[in-house]
Amino acid sequence: MSVGEVDLLVGIATHNHAKTIGNLVRTIEECLVQSFPRERIVIVNADGGSRDDTQGILLRAAPPESKNARGLTSLRTMHRISTRYANAPSPGLALRTILASAELLRTKACAIVSPENSQPACGWVTSLLRPAFQDHFDFVAPLYTRNKFDGLLARNLLYPMSRAVFGQRIRELHSGEFGFSGRLASHCLSQTVWHEEVVRAWPEYWMAISAVSGGFRCCQSYLGVKGRTETSPDLVAAIRQTVGTLFWCLEKQSDFWMDRADSEIVPTFGPDHELAPTTSRVNRKKLLEMFRDGISGLEQILNSVLHAGTFAEIKRLAALNDGFDYPDDLWARTLYEFAASYHHGVLNHDHLIQALVPLYRGRIYSFLMQHQESSPEEMETGTEHLCMEMERQKPYLMELWKSNSEVKP
Amino acid sequence: MRETMLRALTQAYDNLLHMIGEFLPRFIVMVAIIIVGWLVALILKRITRSILRLTNLDRLGEEAGASGVLRKAALPSLTELVSRAVFWLVWLGFILIGISVLEISGMQEQISRIFGLLPQFLVALLILFIGLVAANFFSRAALLGAVNSGYPSPQVFSGAVRFVIWILAISMALEQIGLARETAIAAFSIVFGAVMLGLAIAFGLGGRDLARLTLEKYFGEKKKEKEDEPMPL
Repeated sequence: MSVGEVDLLVGIATHNHAKTIGNLVRTIEECLVQSFPRERIVIVNADGGSRDDTQGILLRAAPPESKNARGLTSLRTMHRISTRYANAPSPGLALRTILASAELLRTKACAIVSPENSQPACGWVTSLLRPAFQDHFDFVAPLYTRNKFDGLLARNLLYPMSRAVFGQRIRELHSGEFGFSGRLASHCLSQTVWHEEVVRAWPEYWMAISAVSGGFRCCQSYLGVKGRTETSPDLVAAIRQTVGTLFWCLEKQSDFWMDRADSEIVPTFGPDHELAPTTSRVNRKKLLEMFRDGISGLEQILNSVLHAGTFAEIKRLAALNDGFDYPDDLWARTLYEFAASYHHGVLNHDHLIQALVPLYRGRIYSFLMQHQESSPEEMETGTEHLCMEMERQKPYLMELWKSNSEVKP
Repeated sequence: MRETMLRALTQAYDNLLHMIGEFLPRFIVMVAIIIVGWLVALILKRITRSILRLTNLDRLGEEAGASGVLRKAALPSLTELVSRAVFWLVWLGFILIGISVLEISGMQEQISRIFGLLPQFLVALLILFIGLVAANFFSRAALLGAVNSGYPSPQVFSGAVRFVIWILAISMALEQIGLARETAIAAFSIVFGAVMLGLAIAFGLGGRDLARLTLEKYFGEKKKEKEDEPMPL
């Protein structure tokens, strides 16, 4: 199919998404007709070997009404391209295929949309594309409304740590839905990291951090309510993917973040943070048990990763009878010592990340106890406090990083 | 009668003196060789260590990933390991030469056999080293997996993995040097079979509830599990 040059590109990486892809494509196209009637648009589907006719359903989906709300007819043809990059899914290859398409078509702005969400609000795609297309931002991170106790890994680890280290206050660097400029697409495409396991498995996070560390203009854009999907990764998988990628990026971008202090506020379109009042059911007792079992079961491993004083303090918490508070300063120290141990190769990297899981459970138990009855504003204040603490302790990370020895004294 | 006994005793005494007279100098030579060998080995160890430090072997090992493997197996650095290997190989050579000076009948042949076994012995050591690293790696992976999944007795599970890999590595090493080949294979088969049978019986009889819970966990109550833990992302 000859498409020529386009203004906007929407990328969708699929693998057996026949159930959702039809609705998704219709919603996206209707949205684009309404919001961008004069622009040249293409939807690029990178498929990882679907066996349920995902590609066929995408290509056959009924086109939207060509008239928008004001009765104006779209002047442009909307293209759909579907390509199979491999017979097995690979997020890295999928993103690379979409980036290559963006560069080939000289796209001005692109958005990556998750195929899990069958009925995204129409505004989602617009919110991701508009800042890149009209305001010339290079990277557009999403913001969501979440259930009160969802997204705790982002709130307690990913956001505070990436903000403290990379110096940009972007909440969702790890999201699978984001917008970007053609310039950033070309920059990422030219990098020589696509063979790396981390980039092949979780390329979105790497791309976001590349945008931050590459000096590209970044912003956040509010999308809407983030619901649960059937394929949401469990805790261990989520930590291995996201924290593994974050630590890997720390390693690769150390020249950039070593020179930075404090953090900058980035432009935000829409509300900065939203929490839905509903709460999901959480088994706190199980979290506490798994924290305690983890501390005793992994004592030898944690001893080799953490500073003696830090580990002694954690063990003291685990021994307390009536719950405990895992304070921000101790949590910040824990994370930094893990990051430094990752850098110094104290353990196999994947094992090291897995050893963090019980400690994270302890932190989450403490967080849930503390914020059981908290309002969204109080939770936000708590998050801000943790972020400030991590920024305050950043010199400690740098000191550990530069030391030739391992973390242990 | 008395004279005969005295003569026999005198002859035995003379023989003993003769033997001691012959053996003692050789023994002293052997001890001297062993002591000299120890000194030579020590000097060679230090020279090797200095040369390896000058050539930055540890840095090369770090880049190649070998140092990381050694560290994970709780072994010393590559420089230290090679230096110690030089020390022990040189000293072992001197010890064997020293023993050969004693000229004990049959010993020469054994020493020649030991020298002949040296290449296989080194390969066996390599197998043991790889076994050690693999046992450490997989037992730690098992421990982390078991702890993070909330299984009871993760240490036992991890220990079992380590034990099985160790048995396998030792059997392979023994087979490599041809030492009690049949015995090693039979011992491995018996131990491995016994462990597997024991685990199967323990799981089937003693752990019926655990088996039920495990199966339920994987096939029965997935939704409940998801609700119990907040969505991380």
